[in-house]
Amino acid sequence: MRLGLVIDLDVCVGCHACAIACKEWNASGTTGPLSDYEPYGAEPSGVWFNRIRHFEMDEYPYNKTINFPMSCMHCEDADCVTVCPTGASYKRAEDGIVLVDQDKCMGCNYCSWACPYGARELDRSSGTMKKCTLCIDRIYDEALPVEERQPSCVLTCPAHARMFGDFDDPDSAVSRTVRERGGFLLMPELNYNPTNTYLPPRRKPVIEIDTKPKGGLKESIKQFANKLVRR
Amino acid sequence: MHPALSVIFFTVASGAGFGLISLLFVTDFFKLGGGFSREQLAVGGVIAMGLIVFGLLSSTFHLANPKNAWRALTRFRTSWLSREGVFAIGFMPLALIYLASILFDAPLWLREAFGLLTAVLAWITVFSTGMIYACLKTIRQWNTPLVPANYLALGYASGSLLLLLGAVYAGLDTTPFIAMSALIVAIAAVLKAIYYFWIRSPGLTPTINTATGLTRARIKLLDTGHTHGTFLTQEFGFQLARRKAGVLKVVVFAVGFGVPGLMLLWLFDQQGGVAAAAVAAAAGIIGAAVERWLFFAEARHVVNLYHGAQRC
Amino acid sequence: MDLRGALFVPRNRMNAKIRLENHAAQEIKYTTCYMCACRCGIKVTLENNKVRFIQGNRNHPTNQGVLCAKGSAGIMKQYSTAKLTQPLMRKPGTERGDGIYEAISWEQALDVLGNRLEDIRATDPSKLAFFTGRDQMQALTGLWAQQFGTPNWAAHGGFCSVNMAAAGLYTIGFSFWEFGAPDWDYAKYFIMWGVAEDHSSNPIKIGLEKLKRKGGKFVTVNPVRTGYSAIADEWLPIKPGMDGLLAMSMVHVLLKHEQFDYEFLVRYTNAPWLVVQTPGQKGDGLFLRNENDQPLIWDLEKEAFRDGLAGDIAPALFGEYVAPDGRRVKTVMSLLAERYLDSRYAPENVALEVGLPAGTIERIALEMAQVAFRETVELPIEWTDVWGKKHDKVIGRPVAMYAMRGISAHSNGFHACRAVHFIQMLLGALDAPGNFRARAPYPKPIPPHQLPENSIDVINAPNTPLSRPPLGFPTRPEDLVIDEFGNPLRIDKAYSWEVPVASHGLMHMVITNAANHDPYAIDTLILFMANMAWNSSMNTSAVQDMLRAKDPDDLGEYRIPFLVVIDAFHSEMTNFADLILPDTTYLERHDCISLLDRPISEPDAAADAIRYPLVEIDRNVRPWQEVMVELASRLKFPAFTNPDGSRKFKDYPDFIVNYERSPGIGFLSGWRGKDGTKSLKGEPNPKQWEKYIENQSFHAHHWPDSQKYMRYVNQEYLEVAADAGFVGKVEPIIMQFYSEPLQKFRLAGQGLYDGPQPTNQVDRERLVKYFDPLPLWYEPLEQQRVDAKEYPFFALTQRPMFMYHSWDSQNVWLRQLMAQNYMYMNARKAAEMGIKDFDWIWVESHNGKIRCQVKTMEGTQEDTVWTWNAIGKQKGAWGLKENASEATKGFLLNHLISELLPEIPGERRITNSDPVTGQAAWFDVRVKIRKAEPGESGSWPQFDVLKPYPGDERYERPEVLRYDARSHEKN
Ligand SMILES: Nc1nc2c(c(=O)[nH]1)N[C@H]1C(S)=C(S)[C@@H](COP(=O)(O)OP(=O)(O)OC[C@H]3O[C@@H](n4cnc5c(=O)[nH]c(N)nc54)[C@H](O)[C@@H]3O)O[C@H]1N2
Ligand SMILES: Nc1nc2c(c(=O)[nH]1)N[C@H]1C(S)=C(S)[C@@H](COP(=O)(O)OP(=O)(O)OC[C@H]3O[C@@H](n4cnc5c(=O)[nH]c(N)nc54)[C@H](O)[C@@H]3O)O[C@H]1N2
Ligand code: SF4
Ligand code: SF4
Ligand code: SF4
Ligand code: SF4
Ligand code: SF4
Ligand SMILES: [Mo]
Repeated sequence: MRLGLVIDLDVCVGCHACAIACKEWNASGTTGPLSDYEPYGAEPSGVWFNRIRHFEMDEYPYNKTINFPMSCMHCEDADCVTVCPTGASYKRAEDGIVLVDQDKCMGCNYCSWACPYGARELDRSSGTMKKCTLCIDRIYDEALPVEERQPSCVLTCPAHARMFGDFDDPDSAVSRTVRERGGFLLMPELNYNPTNTYLPPRRKPVIEIDTKPKGGLKESIKQFANKLVRR
Repeated sequence: MHPALSVIFFTVASGAGFGLISLLFVTDFFKLGGGFSREQLAVGGVIAMGLIVFGLLSSTFHLANPKNAWRALTRFRTSWLSREGVFAIGFMPLALIYLASILFDAPLWLREAFGLLTAVLAWITVFSTGMIYACLKTIRQWNTPLVPANYLALGYASGSLLLLLGAVYAGLDTTPFIAMSALIVAIAAVLKAIYYFWIRSPGLTPTINTATGLTRARIKLLDTGHTHGTFLTQEFGFQLARRKAGVLKVVVFAVGFGVPGLMLLWLFDQQGGVAAAAVAAAAGIIGAAVERWLFFAEARHVVNLYHGAQRC
Repeated sequence: MDLRGALFVPRNRMNAKIRLENHAAQEIKYTTCYMCACRCGIKVTLENNKVRFIQGNRNHPTNQGVLCAKGSAGIMKQYSTAKLTQPLMRKPGTERGDGIYEAISWEQALDVLGNRLEDIRATDPSKLAFFTGRDQMQALTGLWAQQFGTPNWAAHGGFCSVNMAAAGLYTIGFSFWEFGAPDWDYAKYFIMWGVAEDHSSNPIKIGLEKLKRKGGKFVTVNPVRTGYSAIADEWLPIKPGMDGLLAMSMVHVLLKHEQFDYEFLVRYTNAPWLVVQTPGQKGDGLFLRNENDQPLIWDLEKEAFRDGLAGDIAPALFGEYVAPDGRRVKTVMSLLAERYLDSRYAPENVALEVGLPAGTIERIALEMAQVAFRETVELPIEWTDVWGKKHDKVIGRPVAMYAMRGISAHSNGFHACRAVHFIQMLLGALDAPGNFRARAPYPKPIPPHQLPENSIDVINAPNTPLSRPPLGFPTRPEDLVIDEFGNPLRIDKAYSWEVPVASHGLMHMVITNAANHDPYAIDTLILFMANMAWNSSMNTSAVQDMLRAKDPDDLGEYRIPFLVVIDAFHSEMTNFADLILPDTTYLERHDCISLLDRPISEPDAAADAIRYPLVEIDRNVRPWQEVMVELASRLKFPAFTNPDGSRKFKDYPDFIVNYERSPGIGFLSGWRGKDGTKSLKGEPNPKQWEKYIENQSFHAHHWPDSQKYMRYVNQEYLEVAADAGFVGKVEPIIMQFYSEPLQKFRLAGQGLYDGPQPTNQVDRERLVKYFDPLPLWYEPLEQQRVDAKEYPFFALTQRPMFMYHSWDSQNVWLRQLMAQNYMYMNARKAAEMGIKDFDWIWVESHNGKIRCQVKTMEGTQEDTVWTWNAIGKQKGAWGLKENASEATKGFLLNHLISELLPEIPGERRITNSDPVTGQAAWFDVRVKIRKAEPGESGSWPQFDVLKPYPGDERYERPEVLRYDARSHEKN
C-alpha cells in the first residue's frame, strides 16, 4: 500500500479548515501535544503539520489566486528518513507512511533540512521532530465508524479539495482522479517521489453563445411584441 | 539557512583538530623540520583532541533532545550524520592509542600504524562532516562534492597553521611547515574560489514554478498563512544581503587566506617568529569561521520557495 | 546531485507504537456550532469533561460533515483566557471606560437591572434600548422587547446586510443572506457578487466544489480576488459601488437580445401589471387596481382589464393602454424596457465607470442567457400551481447567483441588489432546479405582512407590550414609526423619513443618537453580543468618546446614563459597561435556532436546531436567555406570566418547549405534539429537548419533490406553509419588478401622497431621488460629498475565512494564522506610488486617519485598497497580552468610516446609510494614501490598555501552551 493525499488546487478556497482540523486532532493525538509558543503574546506561533499558503499566478487583471495546502508528502524516496541518524524517522513498510518515533528522536533538525516541502517541525518543548502522521491514529482505528477512518483534514475540508487513499491501487479513487485530472508532483526534479499529488486548476468552461444580436427591443415595444401566454 | 553558532564552532574546531592531528602524524612520520619531541607531539595531540572533543560537545548543544544523542550512531548505513558520529567515535581510541604510543615510546610500527589509522579516520570524519551537507538535495549551495573538499581543505589549512605555530614555538626548521601550510592554504583558497564561483550560477534548480507545479505563468507569494515566524522561517528563512555576502567573502579571502599567506612569506623571510605564526593561525581559524558562517548563511533551502523566493 | 550514499530508503518493519484513542474514556455528543451564523452541526468528542475533538456532523443538512477552521478551533474558544467569569459592576467613583470593576453576585446584578427596568417600563418604556449583535435568537430578544414595550430593539441586520434582505423581500419574496441558496445540485452557471465568506459559509464551499466538478462555470464579481474568488473561472474586478450599474447593463443586454423568459414574466412577476402614468398627479406610478384593490393587467384574449392575480388570464407583457377612467397606463415591462434599453445602460457606456470591458459585460449576460435557455434542466416532477393548473415537470434555468455585502454595504446597495434580482427574474431563474432557491420559512408575501409597531399610544403606554413586533416591512408612509410631526419614535430613527424601509433597524446609529439625545434621551442601553466600542461601530474612536461623554446639563450623568453589556468574553465593549453580565459559551448552554428566526433551512428541507450543555460551567456565568426569561418573569411580561400572576416558565428550556406564538407553533418545529409525532405544527411536547438531543440536535422537515420548487405559486407547498405559519394564507406570491411601496414613498416626497408627507426638504429630495420603483444606480452618498481626486482609493474590508469578527483573536490557534492585518493594494499601483511590501503608510479619509502596513498583490482592482476585518484589537482585550501584534500592528479600518455623511452647512446630519433601508454604508469610504515618515511604525491610533477584570487571576497565560485532551497515555 502507498497511502497519501490528493489536493485539488482547482477547488481549494484556502480556508485553513484542514490546518486547524489537523492541529485539533493531533494536539491530543499520537505525537501530541503540539506546542504553541507565545499563545497570548506578541508573536504567536506553534507546531503545525499542515499549512496553507496563498500564491498569485500571472499579473493583473489576468491573475489567479491559488491556495496551496501542504503537509508531508510521504515520499517514496524520503531523504528525511535516510538522513536521520537515530532511526527516529522511518517509513512504514506496509503503507509508506513516514513517521517520527518520538521516543528515539534527538531533535537534531537534520531531517527537516532534508525535506524539501517544509513538512517537519521541531517541537521545542518535547525536543522532538513532529510531522503529519497521515492520521495513523484515525485511519487504522477500528473503533471509529468506517467512513471516519480518514485523516482529520480530509474529513473536514468544506470544498472536498482533499482525498485520501492508496496510490498503489490503480483502481482507487485517488489513482483514478490523479489520472483523470492530470495530477502532478511538487518539485519532481528533486526525485523524492512524493506520494501526495496535486490536481491543477481546471480549464475554464467555454460557453458558446448562439444568440444572434437582435435589432433591439425598443422597436419591438413600439410594435407591441406581445405573445399570447396564458397563466 | 540559519547559521547556528554551535554548529559553526563545532565544524571549525573539530575540522582544525582533525587537520592538526593528521598533519601531526605526517610530521611525526617524516620527522619534518627535524621532528617534534615526544612531549611536543603529545601536547599537539592533546590540543587537537581538545578541539575535536570540544567541537563534538558543542554540536550536541544544538540538539533539542540530547538524551537520545547516543541513538545517532545507529543509522550508519544511510545517514552521513550517523557516519560522522561513528567515525568520530571510532577515531577516539585510535588517536588515544597513537598519542599513548608516542608518549610511552611504543614500538615504531605500532605508533606509525595507529598514526596512519588516526589520520585516515580523521580524514574520513571530516569528509563525513562535509557530506552531511553535501548530500542534501534541498540545498543547492551544498549539494556538491566541493563541500567535503572544502571542509577537508579548510580543516587541514587550520590544522597546518596551528602546526606551524607549534613548529615555530618549538624552534624547528620551519621551511617544510611553511611549505605545507602554503600548499594547503593555497588549495583551500582555490577550492573556495571555485565554490564561490560555482554557487553564483544557479543552473537548473527548483523554482517557485516547479515548487508549486504552476509552470505556465509568473508565480508570486501572497501570504504564508501564518503571521509570525514558524519553525520553517526560523530554521530556513535566513536571508543574507548580496552585498554583505560579497564583503564577507572578501573577509574570508583576506583574513582566512591572505593574512596567513603574508605571515607565511614573512616567516619564510625568517622574521615574525611566534607572533607571526600565531597571527597566521588565528587569522586562518577566524577566516574559517567566517567562511563557515557564510556557508550556512548563503545556503538557500528550497522550502523558501514556499515563502516567497523565486528560486533557490 | 545524488550524494546520499544510501541507495534506498529503508522500509521500517519495527514501527513505533501508535497510541490510539482511549474510547472508553470518551463520550460523543452532537450540538450546533456557534463560531459563526452558519450554524453547522457538530460532533463533539469529550474526554473527562475536556474537549478532545470537534468535527462536522455528517447527517446535518447545513454542513454535511465538513467543518470550517473556526468550527474546528472551537476547542480553543472554550479554553480561552478571555472568558468573563462573574457579573461585574463599574466601581463606584470610577469613570466609565476606565475599566475598573467590582465583582457582584447574580442576585445583586439582577436586582440592579430588574429595578431599573421596572422603573423605565412603568414610566416611559422607550427609554430602554436593547440592541443585539449577531445573536442567533432574535425571535426571543424581539419578543422580549415587544413584551417590555419598547420600540428600541433591533439586531445587527441594519449594519450587516439589510439591503440584501430588504431588496429580496420587496422583490422576490425571499433573499440572499440566509433566506435563499443556490441550487448546487443542478446549477451550471454561478455568478457571485461581492462575497468573501458569508453566513452560509460551509454550504458555499461544498457547493462551489460540486459546481466545478460538474463542469459548471463560476464567475465572481469582486474588486478583490481571494478565497472563493480565487477558484472562480472568471474574475470581474469591478470598481466598488458599481454593481448596480453592471447589473442594469446586463439587463440592457438581455432585453436588447430578447433573452428573457416570457412565460415566467407573465405568470409569476408583475411585469404585465399596469402602472398609472399621470406625472405630477396623485396616484401617479401606482398600479391600476380594481375595486377590490387587485392590480390589473390587459388581457390579450378577452381584450379587457382583468385581475392580475387571477389564474385564467393572458396578460399583455408590453403595452400602453387607457384605463376606463381615462388615465394612461403602461405595463411594468414596457416601463422596464424603456428604462433599461436606454443607451445609458449600454455596456460601452458603463464600461469605464464599472471598470470592466464592454465586451465582457455583454458576454457574461449572454452566457447566462445561453445557459438559462439552451441548457435548461427539466425534472419530471408533478406539481400544481395556486391557480389549480397541474404541471408535469419543473423547468429549471440553471443560472444561480449569490450576492452579499459587496453589494449591500454600499448606500446604493438596495437598488443594486434589486437589479441583480431583475436578472434572475428575466432569466426565470428563481426557486427552480439549478438556480437560486428559497429556504423555509421563505418565500413570503412581498413584502412580508408584518408591520412595525408605530402607534404612539401603544409605544408610550407604561407596562404595556407592543401590539406588534418593533420591526417589520412598511409598504407606505402610514407605516412609518414617527410622531405626528414626523419625528422618529425609535432611537435609531428606523422607519423615519430619513430611512423609511429600515426593516432591521440601524444598530450603527444607536450610540451616536443616544449620546446626542437625538431624537430623544434614553436611560438604559442594553447591548448583547455586539462589540460596539470597536469593530462593529463606524468611527470607533469617536464612539468610545460618546460612551464616555457626560451630560453638559447634569455633570454627574452620562449622556447614555446606564449601559449594560452581555458578553461572554473580554471584548472592547465590556470595558464601557456599567454592568457586565457574563454569558456562557456555546458548549455550556441551551440554545435554539428557530424557524421563527433566521433559519438554518436548506432549499430541500425546513430545519432548525438546538444546543445543549456539553461542558460543565466552571465560572459564575449564566446564559443570557435564562437571564431574559428571569427578567421577563420578574417584570411580569404578559407572555411570561400566568393569569394568576405567577411565573409561567421555569427556565429557558421550559419556555422553548411551552411557548406558542400561535396555537401549535413554537420555537422548535420538530417532534411537536403530545407524543412528538408532529412536524412544523403541533402542541408542545414536554420531551422535545430530549428528542432533539436524540436526533443529533437538529430537525429537518424534508420537502417532498412536489413541494421543492416554484414555491411562490406552489399550491401544495403554500398549504403547508400557511399551516405552519410561514405565510398567512395560500395566495400567489407575485414577484415585483416594479415596487409600488417605493413609489408611495416617492409620491410622499413629491407632495403627491394622500397621507403623511415629510416636511423637511432633505427628506423630500431623498424620497424623490432614491425611492425609484425601478432600480437605479447613483453614486454612493458619501462619495457624492467627497472629492475623488483628493481621495482616489476605495477602501474595503473582507472577512478572513478563519476568523469571526473580533472574537477569534482570543483563539490561540486561529490567531497564529493571522495576528496582524495589512492594507492590500494593487502591485502596479503601489509601485507607481513608490510603495513596497511592509511599508508603513498613512491612510486618510474625510473622517480620520490611520497608520498601517502595506502588502501588495495582483488580485486587487487598481483603485481599491482593502484589509481583513476586525483583526486589530485594543491592548489588553481578548485575554491577550499588551504586546499582542493585533494591538501593536493590527488596525481597524473603522476609524476612517463615519456613521454620518459629511456635513453640508444648513443640513441636519444624516446617517451614512442606504437611503431606502438604512443599511450601514461601510464600503463607501474613499481614502488617500501616503508613505509614513522613516521611523514611523506601528499601527495608529492606539488606545489605553484595558485592565484585567476581577476574576481574571484564574487564567495563567503561559509562554508555551501544550493542549492535550488525553486523560492518560493511550494504549
Ligand atoms: N469567516 C467568517 N465568516 C463570516 C463572518 C466573519 O466575520 N468571518 N461574518 C459573518 C457576517 S456577520 C456576515 S454579514 C457575512 C458577510 O459575508 P460577506 O458578504 O462575504 O462579507 P465581506 O467579508 O464583507 O465581503 C464582502 C466582499 O465584497 C467585496 N466587495 C466590496 N465592495 C464591493 C463592490 O462594490 N462590489 C462587489 N461586487 N464586491 C465588493 C469585498 O472585496 C469582499 O470580498 O459573513 C459572515 N460569515
Ligand atoms: N470595517 C468593517 N466593519 C464591520 C464590518 C465590515 O465588513 N467592515 N462588518 C459589519 C458586520 S456585517 C457585522 S455583522 C458586525 C459584527 O459585529 P459584532 O456583532 O459586534 O461582532 P463581534 O465582533 O463578533 O462581536 C460580538 C460580541 O459578541 C461576543 N460574544 C461571542 N460569543 C458570545 C456569546 O456566546 N454570548 C455573548 N453574550 N456574547 C458573545 C463577543 O465577545 C463580541 O464582543 O461588524 C460590522 N463591522
Ligand atoms: S480545508 Fe480544503 S479548501 Fe480549506 S484550505 Fe484545506 S484543502 Fe483548501
Ligand atoms: S515530505 Fe518531507 S518529511 Fe515528508 S516524506 Fe517527504 S521528505 Fe520526508
Ligand atoms: S530531528 Fe529526530 S527525526 Fe529528525 S533527523 Fe534528528 S533524530 Fe532524526
Ligand atoms: S493527514 Fe492528518 S496529520 Fe496529516 S495533514 Fe492531514 S490531518 Fe494533519
Ligand atoms: S461555518 Fe464554521 S464557524 Fe460557522 S457554524 Fe459552520 S463550522 Fe461553525
Ligand atoms: Mo454581518
